[in-house]
Amino acid sequence: MAKSLLYITLTISLLPFLAISFSPESPTDRRVLVLLDDFAVKSSHSLFFDSLKSRGFELEFKLVEDPNIGLQRYGQYLYDALVLFCPSVERFGGSINVASIADFVDSGHDLIIAADTNASDLIREISTESGVDFDENAAAMVIDHTGYAVSNTEGDHTLIASDDLIKSDVILGSKNIEAPVLFQGIGHSVNPANSLALQVLAASPSAYSANPLSKLSSPPSLTGSAISLVSVIQARNNARIVVAGSLSMFSNRFFRSGVQKAGSSTKYEKSGNEEFFTELSKWVFHERGHLKAVNVRHHKVGESDEPAMYRINDDSDYSVEIYEWSGTSWEPFVANDVQLQFYMMSPYVLKTLSTDKKGLYSTSFKVPDVYGVFQFKVEYQRLGYTSLSLSKQIPVRPFRHNEYERFLPAAYPYYGASFSMMVGFFIFTVVHLYSK
Amino acid sequence: MARSTSRDAEALFHSLRSAYVATPSSLKIIDLYVGFAVFTAVIQVVYMAVVGSFPFNSFLSGVLSCVGTAVLAVCLRIQVNKENKEFKDLPPERAFADFVLCNLVLHLVIMNFLG
Amino acid sequence: MAAAAETSSDRTLRSAFGSVLSFFILLLIGVLAFSIRLFSVIKYESVIHEFDPYFNYRVTQFLTKNGIYDFWNWFDDRTWYPLGRVIGGTVYPGLTLTAGTLWRILNSLNIPLSVETVCVFTAPIFSAFASWAAYLLTKEVKGAGAGLTAAVLLAMVPSYISRSVAGSYDNEAVAIFALIITFYLYIKTLNTGSLFYATLNAIAYFYMVCSWGGYTFIINLIPMHVLLCIVTGRYSSRLYIAYAPLVVLGTLLASLVPVVGFNAVLTSEHFASFLVFIIIHVVALVYYIKGILSAKMFKVAVTLVVSIGLVVCCAVIAVLIALVASSPTMGWSGRSLSLLDPTYASKYIPIIASVSEHQPPTWPSYFMDINVLAFLVPAGIIACFLPLSDASSFAVLYIVTSVYFSGVMVRLMLVFAPAACIMSGIALSQAFDVFTRSIKFQLPGISGKSDFDGGDTSSSSVVAENDAAKPDKSEETLKERPSRKNKKKEKEQVEKASVEKTSTKSKKEKRLLVLPLEASVIALLLLVFLGSFYVVHCVWAAAEAYSAPSIVLTSHSHDGLHVFDDFREAYAWLRHNTEVDDKVASWWDYGYQTTAMANRTVIVDNNTWNNTHIATVGTAMSSPEKAAWEIFNSLDVKYVLVVFGGLVGYPSDDINKFLWMVRIGGGVFPHIKEPDYLRDGQYRIDSQATPTMLNCLMYKLSYYRFVDVDGKGFDRVRRTEIGKKYIKLTHFEEVFTTHHWMVRIYKLKPPRNRIRGKTKKSKTKTSATSSSRKSVARKKNPWH
Repeated sequence: MAKSLLYITLTISLLPFLAISFSPESPTDRRVLVLLDDFAVKSSHSLFFDSLKSRGFELEFKLVEDPNIGLQRYGQYLYDALVLFCPSVERFGGSINVASIADFVDSGHDLIIAADTNASDLIREISTESGVDFDENAAAMVIDHTGYAVSNTEGDHTLIASDDLIKSDVILGSKNIEAPVLFQGIGHSVNPANSLALQVLAASPSAYSANPLSKLSSPPSLTGSAISLVSVIQARNNARIVVAGSLSMFSNRFFRSGVQKAGSSTKYEKSGNEEFFTELSKWVFHERGHLKAVNVRHHKVGESDEPAMYRINDDSDYSVEIYEWSGTSWEPFVANDVQLQFYMMSPYVLKTLSTDKKGLYSTSFKVPDVYGVFQFKVEYQRLGYTSLSLSKQIPVRPFRHNEYERFLPAAYPYYGASFSMMVGFFIFTVVHLYSK
Repeated sequence: MARSTSRDAEALFHSLRSAYVATPSSLKIIDLYVGFAVFTAVIQVVYMAVVGSFPFNSFLSGVLSCVGTAVLAVCLRIQVNKENKEFKDLPPERAFADFVLCNLVLHLVIMNFLG
Repeated sequence: MAAAAETSSDRTLRSAFGSVLSFFILLLIGVLAFSIRLFSVIKYESVIHEFDPYFNYRVTQFLTKNGIYDFWNWFDDRTWYPLGRVIGGTVYPGLTLTAGTLWRILNSLNIPLSVETVCVFTAPIFSAFASWAAYLLTKEVKGAGAGLTAAVLLAMVPSYISRSVAGSYDNEAVAIFALIITFYLYIKTLNTGSLFYATLNAIAYFYMVCSWGGYTFIINLIPMHVLLCIVTGRYSSRLYIAYAPLVVLGTLLASLVPVVGFNAVLTSEHFASFLVFIIIHVVALVYYIKGILSAKMFKVAVTLVVSIGLVVCCAVIAVLIALVASSPTMGWSGRSLSLLDPTYASKYIPIIASVSEHQPPTWPSYFMDINVLAFLVPAGIIACFLPLSDASSFAVLYIVTSVYFSGVMVRLMLVFAPAACIMSGIALSQAFDVFTRSIKFQLPGISGKSDFDGGDTSSSSVVAENDAAKPDKSEETLKERPSRKNKKKEKEQVEKASVEKTSTKSKKEKRLLVLPLEASVIALLLLVFLGSFYVVHCVWAAAEAYSAPSIVLTSHSHDGLHVFDDFREAYAWLRHNTEVDDKVASWWDYGYQTTAMANRTVIVDNNTWNNTHIATVGTAMSSPEKAAWEIFNSLDVKYVLVVFGGLVGYPSDDINKFLWMVRIGGGVFPHIKEPDYLRDGQYRIDSQATPTMLNCLMYKLSYYRFVDVDGKGFDRVRRTEIGKKYIKLTHFEEVFTTHHWMVRIYKLKPPRNRIRGKTKKSKTKTSATSSSRKSVARKKNPWH
């Protein structure tokens, strides 16, 4: 009981540090709104939805034109995440529009966008808001004459088998996805200057984006591995977005079909799509890679209370507990690269925190010989993980007037001289008065 | 030239001594006291030059206490000197009381500054 | 010898009457000095004025709350973020301790005054003290009559009023008192040769060091005077007693003040006193030896000592010069250097030059600040030379040096004002003396003349001046009496003895200087007229020119009085609507007020000790929005405060100060170049302004939404339409603008949550419209 109470207080104290997430205690999304062009998608993509349901998500399917849909009611968001499986939508019903979706993300909610060839301007605009740009040519598809999937009868090489996955255990799980992922749809690009967006599934260097039905008259605007097939974005408030250029990627057909990459002799019984999206959905719905830091503590060595102010050259202990959400519970987060800065305009002390493998990170250091208003800063930004940014302001003061060293041996002659003067004065007074 | 200078110096020395012998003994005591203070001050300066000026406040208070004592004693000497016509009206008791007050202030400050 | 003919009982009565009268006059002068400074409280309210006083007020509050030791060790983390400031070690504590003590005494007497009230009224109280000190000083120089006149003049001198009106809680308020009392005690010691006064002098000097950085003026002026006395052959053992203990005790006491510390022995400002200290010892020794030796022997000694002494002196001077030269800026602080070389600051330190009170004054400001005294000062100097005593030579030296310093910096007019008052007091009193004496000489029947012209004057202070002349006369007769030593105290006897000789001499001169009756009467009337003109001017200055608290502004227009209370409105908004730890950036002028009134952390403030930090803020203000945002964000700034006077015509706003921000910023960060902000060397904000100017943060923040007011964006300070009317802010958002737009507060937007794609906004806009158009079309389709 006491422990849970402590836990609650800790999480409350944590609130300012963590980005405004859903419920800080269990960050995994629960209520998901799925917007569809057409209810047929519900059955044609049932494998994907079933995997979500089996993990405990409450899916609510709505048609985009439904006039009653809305993301929030009375200022409260009704859903934790939004899935847009409606590439051709021109206008949402109800109160949803681009701005409301942007607000939905900005208040910390997650989003999956699936586009397709001939994606509507609305979907493009939402993607642009998120930071990815679809090929401006509406009819363009990604074509790859060397990386296509051979098991297909189609001859225009738009069904691509890509295995250029991002290497991140956090985003795609620790298990390696062996089979290539099938893709058929529009390509998009991510601005390399955009530090928030990542290519998760990139096209091969030989791919390009063009309309397969017309002849290529001018050089394609997107070529090579700059074409992103699936991208993820983690916003600064740790809201996560997945943008895929193909709706059919999620379909049961693609999940079940076997795949053989052109030029490769290995034929996989099953494409990598199911595994890929299961893992990716775990990431995007915060079942993985979500960190929290609690119990930030600092005190002088040998004391336990947190001081309001340090003195220069004090010895200080700093500790923080970091946990990762496993989907069901908070597990200790283990890493060896969490660093603490003692910061005033630039880091004066930079130390790697040592961990006890139970989530507690700690270090001790000597406060520099500079006074000023410092900050304890932990900036932990790793690929796929939510960013941790803890800072705590603490002033460092110089010595008080009575804290300087006294009775220095080197100064004894001066002390002696001063006191001899006083004694001399006394003797002199006596002598002077009685000499008359 | 050199010989005449040294003879002059000798004569000067003699006359200085004879003049000084005539000063009253109370003034001589003050002179002794001043000499003691100046001597202590010089020793401290030499010590500082050797050891370095690290506890500068201690050095400063040490030297200044000596210099202050000397200066105040000189002032007292000027005032109680009966030959000095400027202070004929100032009784020596009053002069001495002022001197004591001044010294007390000085040593109070020194005590404050020494640490 | 009219006075000698009177009976002795009559004389005692008259002298007693004179001293009682002068006591009451002094009391009235004190009341006058206090009450003339209350205009600001009456016209506005009892508030702290200006900028620096707010800091002093805040420090005093801390002192009264936490006690002296915490004050001593106060590390303030609310200013100069993130550097912080060690208040105890960087502040002159005199004023704060004075007001704190005053408050404590009042509270222990069960007089429950708030700290603010005490702070507001500290300056007027001390100006009364200062005029009494001026009386004492002038009395030592030229007698009681001159002293009373000087006290009256000082009580009203506009220059001093400008710094000591009620609410102007600044260091100078107590420092001027400390300055005068230190000078008085020095002169007193010089005249009496008493160690008692020498001790008091050192303590007064200590108080001065506590109060104001201007103490270096004392520690340079007194050695100069000593040197002058030695050179002109006026050395006496009194001079030794006045000077030597002052240097030793004064230096020790000064080192006790944390802000001065070892500077008291290490910086060049103080070297002059040590040099003179050595010289006076040598001179004293020479005089002593001269005294005990015969003349012939002394000559021998001189030739001997000179030959050795020259060598020693050369060595010592060489060492000293090497010491001074080894330190950067030759061991002088920037402000002192700009005093010695008036062009120094404008060349090298824009931050000193940017402060208006560090500029050289203009001639009208002399007339404004000391008025008719400017004409009386030369007369006073002449009066000091007849006869020249140690004291009067000191007064002359004081006025000459202070005239120079006031010519370099407006702020030092304040040092000059007491000197001018003393000189004018002497001049006026001497003039009255001469005229009344000649009237009296020709009309032996009229004994006093106060009723003579007291009837036709209306102003009270002119009466005071006439009264001042009267005890002066009685004092004069008192001096003319044959010496009655046993009645007077010993310490004054020396002075009297010296005055005695001169007075007999001057009496003869005066006999010769008898003027015709008519001329005297007319001259007297003219003097009275001059005096009343001075009084009228002073009252006007106190009431109109110097009593505005600058935190509340008023303006008169055809439809009555307008009060602009925007500053307090803005600070109150900050205090109530922002987090306690939020940082507010503004130009340094407003730093003290923000910390004191809004209780928020500021980046820079009026204590301009760190040039780089100020330059950082200056650079941010003169950078484009994005660069500025990055600078501010790196300093954890949450809010930016700008002062804008364009709507109501408040001229000292940030746009007018902006060139200094550019200069100071450019002094440290060379990518900010002043010519980029000037069109053909002209500073302008209209459509002719340079693009750099139009795009800098200060311009944007000042004129954001300004065009909405009148549709044209007419700036009433610069009297022009602004150059860029529709300003869009991307990294800042306006959170508060005061009623008259004088203070505008902006908030830094957090970094964007998402980074948008490359597609241009305009394109998405068109696509959005097209999509909506399409959708409309599609919606129509079913009805087709």
